[in-house]
Amino acid sequence: MSSAAPIVHIVDDDMSFRTSVGRLVQLSGYRSAGYASGAELLARLPTDEPGCILLDLNMPGLDGLELQDRLAEVAPQLPIVFLTGYGNISTTVRAMKAGAEDFLEKSASSSDLLAAIKRAMLLGQQRSAEHERNIRLNALVASLTKREAFVFDLIVRGKRNKQVAFELGTTERTVKAHRRSIMEKLGARSLAEAVSIAERLGMIDDQSAP
Amino acid sequence: MRGLVSCRWSSLASTALGLFVLLLACFSTIGGLAVQIVGRVPRVLILYPYDERLPATSIGGEIARTRLIEATHGKIELFSEFLDQSRFRDEGHIANMARYLAGKYAPVRPDVVMALGPESISFIVKYRDTIAPEARIVYTGISGSEASRLHLPDGVFGAVSEFDIRKTIAMARGLQPDARRLVVVVGSSPFDKEWLDAAKRDIAKLEQPYETIYLTDLTVDEFVKRVSELPRDTILLILTVFKDSSGRNLPSRDVAGQLAKAATAPSYGPYSTYVGEGIVGTSTSTFEAMGSAVADLALAALANKPMADVIVPQTYLADARELKRWGLLESKLPPGTVLSFEEKSVWQEHHVAILLTFAIVAVQALAIGALLMERRRRATAERVARSRLLEVVHLNQSATAGALSASIAHELNQPLGAIRNNTRAAELVLKSANPDLGLMRQILADIRDDDQRASDIIAGLRSMLKKRGEIEWQELDVNEVVANALQILHGEAERRQVEIDFLRPSGQLPVRADRVHLQQVILNIATNAMDAMLGVAERKLMLKTGLVDAGQVDVSIADTGTGIPNEKLTRIFETFYTTKAGGTGLGLTISRTVVESYGGRIWAENRPEGGAIVRVILPMAQTS
Repeated sequence: MSSAAPIVHIVDDDMSFRTSVGRLVQLSGYRSAGYASGAELLARLPTDEPGCILLDLNMPGLDGLELQDRLAEVAPQLPIVFLTGYGNISTTVRAMKAGAEDFLEKSASSSDLLAAIKRAMLLGQQRSAEHERNIRLNALVASLTKREAFVFDLIVRGKRNKQVAFELGTTERTVKAHRRSIMEKLGARSLAEAVSIAERLGMIDDQSAP
Repeated sequence: MRGLVSCRWSSLASTALGLFVLLLACFSTIGGLAVQIVGRVPRVLILYPYDERLPATSIGGEIARTRLIEATHGKIELFSEFLDQSRFRDEGHIANMARYLAGKYAPVRPDVVMALGPESISFIVKYRDTIAPEARIVYTGISGSEASRLHLPDGVFGAVSEFDIRKTIAMARGLQPDARRLVVVVGSSPFDKEWLDAAKRDIAKLEQPYETIYLTDLTVDEFVKRVSELPRDTILLILTVFKDSSGRNLPSRDVAGQLAKAATAPSYGPYSTYVGEGIVGTSTSTFEAMGSAVADLALAALANKPMADVIVPQTYLADARELKRWGLLESKLPPGTVLSFEEKSVWQEHHVAILLTFAIVAVQALAIGALLMERRRRATAERVARSRLLEVVHLNQSATAGALSASIAHELNQPLGAIRNNTRAAELVLKSANPDLGLMRQILADIRDDDQRASDIIAGLRSMLKKRGEIEWQELDVNEVVANALQILHGEAERRQVEIDFLRPSGQLPVRADRVHLQQVILNIATNAMDAMLGVAERKLMLKTGLVDAGQVDVSIADTGTGIPNEKLTRIFETFYTTKAGGTGLGLTISRTVVESYGGRIWAENRPEGGAIVRVILPMAQTS
């Protein structure tokens, strides 16, 4: 799948506009798919292809926030470029709240539109890469023994070996051995790298920070 | 002048008789005639000297008859006898006539005999004992001098005329001051000869005499020849020609007319009957005046009143046509002249009718003027009202255009954005090594369509901003108007996340109205409906068109908004009534005014399932 060109999902009730954007992005090297409404997008959206969503906010019967929530569930990696007719505050705020990665006025030039799509695609790629790395890291973390996982959880939260040993009821030396094993399994060369991985995987929440 | 003396004498006698009768009446109330005619209507016998064709007597007789009938309210019996003495003058015949009349009137003895002309007077005076022994006799048609020559008995009274030819000559002198010659025409009958004698006597008495030529004892043709050779400065006096030298009996008036027409100088005559036949004028006692005067005498006789001879005064008569023919000045006529045959201006002839006509026309004109003024005032008022309505509708349109401008601008972004994208796409196609011409064609077609769409949107906006002085009446399809309005509203509806649903029948719904006005009504109602849906979750604007029944088109605009409180369903159409913070309270008022000015109705209802519905009914255009 990743061999194919990224796809631009165009959601606009205006067929003429949809067609023109589709034509433009195709000629710019993307694939395109058109949807007349948010509901149609949710119904037909392929989730496993790289791409971005171009969404007209001014569509009857569209609730941007709700659509955003649903998209976050089904295709979290797909960046959304919002198109607004007005650029007024209420619409912008709404678009931001809806999690706009980028938003563009409809009157924007074709170059701006293509640039926004390009940015969105890059973001998508980043997301995909991140997503893949997360999967890989998750697998690495999963490879830790139960005790190692416990130790890992503690040390990324900034506990000293002594404290960890105390909590485990073991010696500081044993903890050090676990640490070495963990660092090896995760491919981390420093504590900082280990913390970064833990952070990336969402293992550290702010509340539990010291 | 003897006539005048006898006249005075008779007058004295009649006064004496009158006094005597009055005394009798005082003592016994039984007085002569009055007693005799008790129990029946009075009888009057009118004697005509010749036949019925003599205008002189027939005019006088007719006037007298009319006057008698009028004065007695028809309670009178009138008899007429024509003695025909111009043709039958033989004494034997006259005696036979008298005997015949005596027998004829034996059962109905006349109370009064009215004799017209000298022959009649002589006849009745001679035969009164056999024909009308009890009757009183009145007469007219002779001059005072003639009457005195007849030596009439007492108790016979007349309305004597004055045929003083000198007055006629004086009239002619006034009109023709340069005249040097007087030519007198007279016939050969005894009557004519009497006239000749009288005229000679009178002319001899003229203070400023003329060289006078008497033409008599000639045939009519000879008369004609002679008068047609007269110098212009002649006064031609035509007396009577009852007979010419050939012995023919003639209607004198006709001869006088013939001569007057042939004459090369102005002519005059003694009788009123000549006026109109060709003479310039006369001074005479008119036969009308004589008839009237003798009728008065007869009435006095019937009433047994004191009586006396009366002199019928002379009147100057002139023919305006003849004055003109001879170039004589009207101002030179004697004062009091009765001018006949005036080529009166229409005004003189018909001034009463004209005045009346003018009055009517004036009244009509006034009425029409008033009505026109009223109409103009009304038209002006209507025009002012209409222009104000136009102005208000225009303001309303401008306001709507302003309110919708953002969404309309956005609406423009769609085609413009599409055009932009397509243009860029086309550039990319052309940059490629092997340009796809099929795609290029598609792109260009799309650009053209979007350009058209943009134009339509701008046209829609312009139609709302366009200011016009007059209502543009046109037959239009309501469906089309609604569709246009929705096109304008499309952007706004999108912005507000309002779904629009338009249900329409397949056929046309023709009405006669101004397109922009009707569109504005739809816009007003629809924007109100959208305003009503601001806070609600389900936002649907539902438009529906259709036929109510024959001849009525229905447009209903429903929403899923908050609805209208029932007590305010009618108030919302009132001026300045608004429920919205930013509302002017004019939109629905204007809508109602517009709809009603096209003969339609508009009202609001609440939908049972929630929301309001505004309905507009318009008369369907009669398509032939």
